[in-house]
Amino acid sequence: MSVPQYRKAAAIALVAGLGLSLTACSTKSDDAAKDASGKVTITVDCQPVGAQKELLKNWNDDVAEFQKQNPNIVIKSVSVGEQCNNPPDFTARLAGGTVTDVFYGYMTDLQQVLDSGQAMDITEYANKDTIPTWDSVDPALKGVFTDGGKLYAVPVKNYSMGLVYNKVLFQRAGLDVNNPPKTWAEVREAAKKISALGNGIAGYSEYSAGNTGGWHFTSLLYSQGGQVLTEDGKKADFNNAMGKQVLQNLKDMRYGDNSMGARQLLQWGDLLTNAGAGKVGMFIGAPDATQAIVSQFQGKFQDWAMGPLPGQDGAAKATLGGGEGYFFKKGLTPEQVKAGLKWIAYQKLTPGKGQFDYVRAKPQNYPVGLPQPLLFANGSDAQKKELELRKANANVDTANFAIFEANQVPIKGEPRNAQAVYAVLDAAMSGVLTNPNANIDALLKTAEDKVNQLLVAGS
Amino acid sequence: MPQDSGTRTLISQAQLERGRGRIIYWTLLAVVVVGFTLVFIGPLYWMVTGALKSGQEIAQTPPSLFPKDPQPQNYVDAWHNLDLAKLLFNTFYYATGAVLFQLVLDTAAAYSLSKLRPVFGNAILGLMLATLMIPAMVLIVPQYVTVIDLPILHLNLLDSPFAIWLPLVANAFNIFLLKRFFDSIPEDLMAAAFVDGATPLRTLWSIILPMSRPILGVVSIFAVTAVWKDFLWPKLVMPSPETRTVSVGIYAFAGGTPMNVVIAASVIAAIPTVVIFLIFQRNIMSGLTTGSLKG
Amino acid sequence: MAITTVPGTTRQPGRPEPPYPTSRRRTSLGRKVRDNLSGHTFLIGAVVCFAVFSWYPMVRGIVMSFQRTRRGETTWVGWDNYARIIADPSFWTAWKNTFYFTFLALVLGYAVPFFVAILLNEFRHARGYLRILVYLPVMLPPASALFLFKFYAYDPSEAGLFNAVLAALHLPTSEWMQSPGMTMPAMVLASTWMNMGSAVLIYLAALQNIPGELYEAAELDGAGIWRRIRHVTIPQTRLILALLAMMQIVATMQLFIEPLILANGAGTGDSATSVAYLIYQHGFFQNDLNGAAALGVIMLVVLAGFSAVYVRLTAKQD
Repeated sequence: MSVPQYRKAAAIALVAGLGLSLTACSTKSDDAAKDASGKVTITVDCQPVGAQKELLKNWNDDVAEFQKQNPNIVIKSVSVGEQCNNPPDFTARLAGGTVTDVFYGYMTDLQQVLDSGQAMDITEYANKDTIPTWDSVDPALKGVFTDGGKLYAVPVKNYSMGLVYNKVLFQRAGLDVNNPPKTWAEVREAAKKISALGNGIAGYSEYSAGNTGGWHFTSLLYSQGGQVLTEDGKKADFNNAMGKQVLQNLKDMRYGDNSMGARQLLQWGDLLTNAGAGKVGMFIGAPDATQAIVSQFQGKFQDWAMGPLPGQDGAAKATLGGGEGYFFKKGLTPEQVKAGLKWIAYQKLTPGKGQFDYVRAKPQNYPVGLPQPLLFANGSDAQKKELELRKANANVDTANFAIFEANQVPIKGEPRNAQAVYAVLDAAMSGVLTNPNANIDALLKTAEDKVNQLLVAGS
Repeated sequence: MPQDSGTRTLISQAQLERGRGRIIYWTLLAVVVVGFTLVFIGPLYWMVTGALKSGQEIAQTPPSLFPKDPQPQNYVDAWHNLDLAKLLFNTFYYATGAVLFQLVLDTAAAYSLSKLRPVFGNAILGLMLATLMIPAMVLIVPQYVTVIDLPILHLNLLDSPFAIWLPLVANAFNIFLLKRFFDSIPEDLMAAAFVDGATPLRTLWSIILPMSRPILGVVSIFAVTAVWKDFLWPKLVMPSPETRTVSVGIYAFAGGTPMNVVIAASVIAAIPTVVIFLIFQRNIMSGLTTGSLKG
Repeated sequence: MAITTVPGTTRQPGRPEPPYPTSRRRTSLGRKVRDNLSGHTFLIGAVVCFAVFSWYPMVRGIVMSFQRTRRGETTWVGWDNYARIIADPSFWTAWKNTFYFTFLALVLGYAVPFFVAILLNEFRHARGYLRILVYLPVMLPPASALFLFKFYAYDPSEAGLFNAVLAALHLPTSEWMQSPGMTMPAMVLASTWMNMGSAVLIYLAALQNIPGELYEAAELDGAGIWRRIRHVTIPQTRLILALLAMMQIVATMQLFIEPLILANGAGTGDSATSVAYLIYQHGFFQNDLNGAAALGVIMLVVLAGFSAVYVRLTAKQD
């Protein structure tokens, strides 16, 4: 290249660079709440991602239909990824103030959202006018999103955990598909038989990374009758006989029987990938775990069934319940809040519409008939209506979940500061699952110290 | 400039051509060529074929060398589900901008520090070089807080490409390389230009820059590599799926996807860069080897 | 390439700042004024970027480490953040892990590329091919390269590539990332594979600039290959070796994506937790940006110590 040519190239590059920067500026958000025509615009996150083709189409159809019914509201959907709330990303969005006007969060996120100063008190707006089914919504769920008498979010999903098992593997191992294990001792026996099938199949599989290990530890601890934090939420309360039993059970299965497979340090998607590939006999999870196995991990519905969470001797003392809701960003206009509530009411809380549009969901690769999302109080109008629709349109064999539904275990919520506590408890889980000589007492002691630290810091 | 052959290196040409030396040379060459091929191409082969396997086949013991029942659908899924086109576009867009910003601003600064030597120039240079030893991780939290709310301007740069471009300009290593190179350009040339009445900008443009192509090439390569390799910073400042880079996008996607599809996405993501690299490898290699990175 | 080197580039190695050119004395007052004016104009862009994204955050980081922000309110808390961070049982483990990684990375990631470069520099054939090979992994997005290791190479069952090879050779297999003793070496291995290309090229460039006569003279003195490497190659590339050593140490302090992807974060029993990961964990999992800033400041102090030792060592050699 001769010198003048080089200079020409550089000049072009420079001009191009300026052009780039200018376009970059113009793509920045236009956050006008109301445009010239007097329309109210709100941004909403947790739009399904491209991979979830049917869910995404349903969502977009719902937006179109909703905007037709409410011509003065514009919904801008934002997709934040495969998991709507991946804790570090969620924290980053809160810290960065980049949450959408109406944003998705777990029930456990209330404290963090309040700490960030991003949440709006919506007590005066949430009522029958904005959400027609509001009085049917389970009061306990509203309570989860209430702090100091003020409501900060609208619940849109609620679940409790049980034992998810693969019927095909149960049959091959000579186990009774209609009689899943009820105690951890029975789980251990069944796991032994299933893993004896060989071929890298794990009889029972468990998480130990990405906060999911701590999440499941909590559930296992509840089944023993324990709790993660003391009643006042100020101290760790798992370094005791019940906590030890949880880890001992896992250790026995992992190293005593070698029935949990070689792959550990699993997090959410890892376990479900294995499950989708038919390599997992049992794991604990919510009913919608089967949905993820099918829609995202290439598995089949008819293979999976669910029973109640096992207990140490007899039924589980409690099971972990959790859920999701939509928060409202501080500084919205009353019109925006009302518009947001209307949208949530339409998409999430109306039997026959949105997530409850079972007629639409029936032919799709999406389950109807799961005992979820349990949003409405028992006996309320909305609950009855939803149940009828669900039964009429079920596309999965409801018998698969009958045992789970028939054996209700008391539901217990997640601990305060849950995600941070879960991160600590991951280490205890990975400890027993990857080290044959793990010292359970030491693992629990370390975790206890760390959680206590964290609670002191957080107060 | 020493060329590839003909220069004396550690072992003399003569020694390599003599009996025993020759045998050792050819054996070693063969071992290295085969070994390196296995070590560096082997995993890539495994990647391309692994992405064609079914979930069951991947979990099988021992692993199979060829996919028994190839599933090209994994590649199709990866392309569509991940919106790879968008991710790749973002990454190249950020890389291009990073190169331009660094070339313009860092070159200007290095030129000023080297040739114009304004007052406090050395103090400023010292402050810049002091950051050389500070890994990005040390500053990640305050930097992040700064990008969210820029001092004085109170702008939020999240999801804006400037959040990637501007911090990269603050690269002391570039300033160091460029200044070192400019230092080696004789002062007499500058004096001559001044006598001719050339402005500093004109001198930079017509005298300095044409002589500095190799080093500008090196700075560009480093700028592209930095964007390509960075992970945590783009993960933090580009939180929306529409603005993610390839690396961050694949990671975010991996959480909820079977691994054969994740690997398929990785293969597709690597193709454009590998192709660009193979096309320009001569320039890149000679740029890196001649660009003043000398002992 | 027409212009590859500029005349008069030979300089004392290790001293980037050349003595002022003699012609400077002849510069006129007019030029001085004008150079000053335009000098600052040329500087402004980079200086603003440094100020906003480097110098200011450093000060801000130190300030933040003594504050605490809750519900939008910021208060001064003295050394509380430091006390909390140091009391975290993972704190010392993270430092131990990071130093161990740094050590392994210096042995593997630093020495291996140097010897690979020496080897490649000796070959008269297949040079281009070998160089491209070594540089290929650099082209992969880092997340892709690590998933490759995670899913295939380090799979703890015998379906894993490494274990399949070991089993075929009747060698003991390993659980790789699940075995606390192997976590760090496995991470260094993956990291070296994906990053060594750049270092090899930089070394190659340095090697090609060693005058052949030096080797000839050494050979005439009867120096064997090892002595020639020790007395010619290493001293001749000392500046670049020292520079890369420092950059390598700084880079290993950033150890983040390897534990995040290969070990899903902390690994088994904190065996993969690095200081950088701990910063991330405090800042973004535990919602404690102030604590994370404090840990950043601690890291800064440790690195300042490193730099002091480095400067002293390199200065002594001059």
